[in-house]
Amino acid sequence: MPAQRFHQPSVLPGFGLTFGFTTFFLSALVLLPLAALALMAGSMHWADFVRVVLSPRALGSYRLSFGASSLAASINLVFGFVIAWTLVRYEFPGHKAVDALIDMPFALPTAVSGIALTSVFAANGWIGRYFALLGVQVAYTWIGVTVALTLIGMPFMVRTLQPAIAEVQRDLEDAAETLGAGRLYVFRHIVLPTVLPAMLTGFTLAFARAVGEYGSVIFIAGNLPMKTEITPLLIVIHLQEFDYSGAAALGSVMLVISFVVLLTINLIHSWGRRRLVATAH
Amino acid sequence: MSITLDQVTKRYQGATVVNDVSLDIGDGEFFVLLGPSGGGKTTLLRAVAGLTGVDHGRISLHGRDVTHVAARERGVGLVFQNYALFRHMTVADNIEFALRVRRMRAAARRARRKELLRLVSLEGLDDRLPAQLSGGQQQRVAVARALAHKPEVLLLDEPFGALDAKIREELRRTIRQVQRELGITTVLVTHDQEEAFALADRIGIMNLGRLLEMGRPDDLYARPATRFVATFLGAANLLLARQSARGLSFGSDPVVVPHVESGVHVREHEVVAVLRPEEIELAPSREALSTAYMADGAVDEILFSGALERLRVRLGDGAAGAHVVRSESGSDPPYLEVTRSQHEQRVFPLVPGQEVALGVRRLHVLPTPLSSFMVCAPNEEIARQLGGESLLNELATRMKTRIAVQVEPSLGSAALIGSAPSLAAASPGIALSPGAASSLRSASLPGSVPSLAEADGDEGLAFGGAAVIASRPGALRSVEWLLNRGAEKVFVLPPSAPSPRRVLIHWVDESARRATLAVSASLLRHVSAEAVYVGILPQGGALNAQRPLGMRALLDARSEAQAVHGLDMRTELRFGDVARELALRLAESPDQLLILGITDVAELDKRFASLLDEPRWPILIVYEPGERTRAAEPARTADLIRFA
Repeated sequence: MPAQRFHQPSVLPGFGLTFGFTTFFLSALVLLPLAALALMAGSMHWADFVRVVLSPRALGSYRLSFGASSLAASINLVFGFVIAWTLVRYEFPGHKAVDALIDMPFALPTAVSGIALTSVFAANGWIGRYFALLGVQVAYTWIGVTVALTLIGMPFMVRTLQPAIAEVQRDLEDAAETLGAGRLYVFRHIVLPTVLPAMLTGFTLAFARAVGEYGSVIFIAGNLPMKTEITPLLIVIHLQEFDYSGAAALGSVMLVISFVVLLTINLIHSWGRRRLVATAH
Repeated sequence: MSITLDQVTKRYQGATVVNDVSLDIGDGEFFVLLGPSGGGKTTLLRAVAGLTGVDHGRISLHGRDVTHVAARERGVGLVFQNYALFRHMTVADNIEFALRVRRMRAAARRARRKELLRLVSLEGLDDRLPAQLSGGQQQRVAVARALAHKPEVLLLDEPFGALDAKIREELRRTIRQVQRELGITTVLVTHDQEEAFALADRIGIMNLGRLLEMGRPDDLYARPATRFVATFLGAANLLLARQSARGLSFGSDPVVVPHVESGVHVREHEVVAVLRPEEIELAPSREALSTAYMADGAVDEILFSGALERLRVRLGDGAAGAHVVRSESGSDPPYLEVTRSQHEQRVFPLVPGQEVALGVRRLHVLPTPLSSFMVCAPNEEIARQLGGESLLNELATRMKTRIAVQVEPSLGSAALIGSAPSLAAASPGIALSPGAASSLRSASLPGSVPSLAEADGDEGLAFGGAAVIASRPGALRSVEWLLNRGAEKVFVLPPSAPSPRRVLIHWVDESARRATLAVSASLLRHVSAEAVYVGILPQGGALNAQRPLGMRALLDARSEAQAVHGLDMRTELRFGDVARELALRLAESPDQLLILGITDVAELDKRFASLLDEPRWPILIVYEPGERTRAAEPARTADLIRFA
């Protein structure tokens, strides 16, 4: 690799130092632990690895973990947008309080959110009882898991979208309106293209957070093997049985799937951006 | 008419941003709304575009009432200060946006786009993104985009605001050309008077939500009707002057500057004169002037600015009392601003400190009846209190005028309170003797104010502008006393009165209508309040018979206010006792002000005693002596001569 491509000249000095730090931190905190994980999983016998990783219980947990996480991130895509839009565009009494409330899931220990959610969504809880009337059980099912993951991912979505929505100048909508566009048209052709990158980023963050979530989910999930058991829980179960290599095997599978999903989203992201620039020439 | 606005009003959180604006803009006209920021012009433009709803009034485009029509169905094109281009779309997509929305076929869209790009001279830039264009180019794209759907009206909101001077001028020319070529009715909002002059067929000047004046640029510049327009359109020296049949005189100077517009009022009275800096001639001596001599002065400061030389000239002693209004504070020493051409500079070179004679080429008298305020109080303490009232100072600042102070012990005397008004001259308590005259002192507030006795020599008490008195028990007597002594406007001011949100207008007799409306219009130009004319008919059996008469009076009042003063007002009709109904109306909210027109001082005691005893609201009384009372005037003047 030619040197000048590697080192872009910049106004700020200290590329060597900062790049060194970046490499060191990423290595010490991300790459090395991941390598250790792979190593540990690799120490297993191949047949054992396959048995643990492809066991029906493990497969069920992948389905729940990744399914509920994408569903939760998708729900956040819609409702997170609505919340962010409301907070950016409207001034109402208690605006500050609502804004602060968004960060609550960040601040609470996740176990607390889990317990709180369970008590509300249990069959005799404040909200759960109405779902029970409809014959829908929320707590201790995959629906409950999704609810918990939605809560956990919501701040990521809202906080990512807020600055993006603030950037959609109202003048743009006004201009489109005077040019004859209806509301839906304005939303589809003016607002959405502007905030789409932020929406993708928010989706990625919410999804990634949901996949790794453990504390809040175990309370509301009920943890029935094959039905409401998430992969992180399965890993903990392996750990409690002192089956470290089994836990590492499941962990490495999660790692690979997550990496592929996140990479895909990022590729879509940059493809969209390139397409935007490409139309210019 | 392309655009017709009828009493358009818009409020934001209780504040009136656009206040009763009525306006007709003709087909193909280029109309410029000019005013300081916060004057309501952008709100008005957005209301025409349909992006802002109005609280009152109607908007018509080409005869179609669009008040409640959505922006996308109004058929207007709007250009924003920050371009508001769609950044993720190319120039072509931006321009074709309106056509795409209308599902026009691609070939037709393309043809229209090419045509528009040629119009704004941007051929070949179809595929660029807005970010790849300069500010000027972006704004051209915005203009092309706004014209794509062939709107009937083009609206431009400070379109040059974000551009530098050179590009601004270029774009200005382009917009003028496009407008001429298409013959499209155009409204442009700006705070830049140069821009307004360069583009407008007609200018409308807005301030505090009101459309103050409109007209051709040269007309507005030469003959402004309001202080605001006089000073906003170009530089102007505003001077308080006394106008008589012979002309104008300034301060205590006996010099009279002949004035063509004189002779309308026979009686000497105070006016506000506008002297443009370029209409003042400077010469080494009075004899060397080629124009009418006005005063002596000394050059204080000289600034060279290219083609013109700007000077500040301090007025000599005599004319110094003229109170030159230069700045908001109103307390500056009497300076005049003068500009001179290169030619004038060569003929008579000047250095700072040099003594000069000032001549006037042309001056203009504002038709404003509220020239200044004169606080009248029985002692200095009340005078100081009254002079510090926020409402009074707010008015004076906005009107760019002064508050003079007159301490008049008789105003507080027990005899005055007890005496009948007509007895004033004869009553010993307020004896108009030389002794009393010497007690008339002028106190110190902005500017040196000649005392009433000095200033007016043998012509009696000519009150400068409006007399201001405190609202105290017995205020009615003070009002009568002042009116009997030549005051034409008396402002009764309660302590800490807020700035009014609504001004109620009523006159007792139709012959007071003209004067009351003139004062009302003058006041309302300087406060952000709505005007309501309250017509009151006596209650009784003849009610039904009177109703048409009352309605007629309302309509007359409204149309005269509109036609003569450009003042738009609401009207309401009430039945019952006049003073009682006015009191009831005033009681509805605290931030109101009443303007009451009367023709007979005696009426006050007979009909308004309850209202005027210690009013809780500011009340401005306008006295227009009717035919009957005019006949009695010589006697009054005679008394005053004795007094002087």
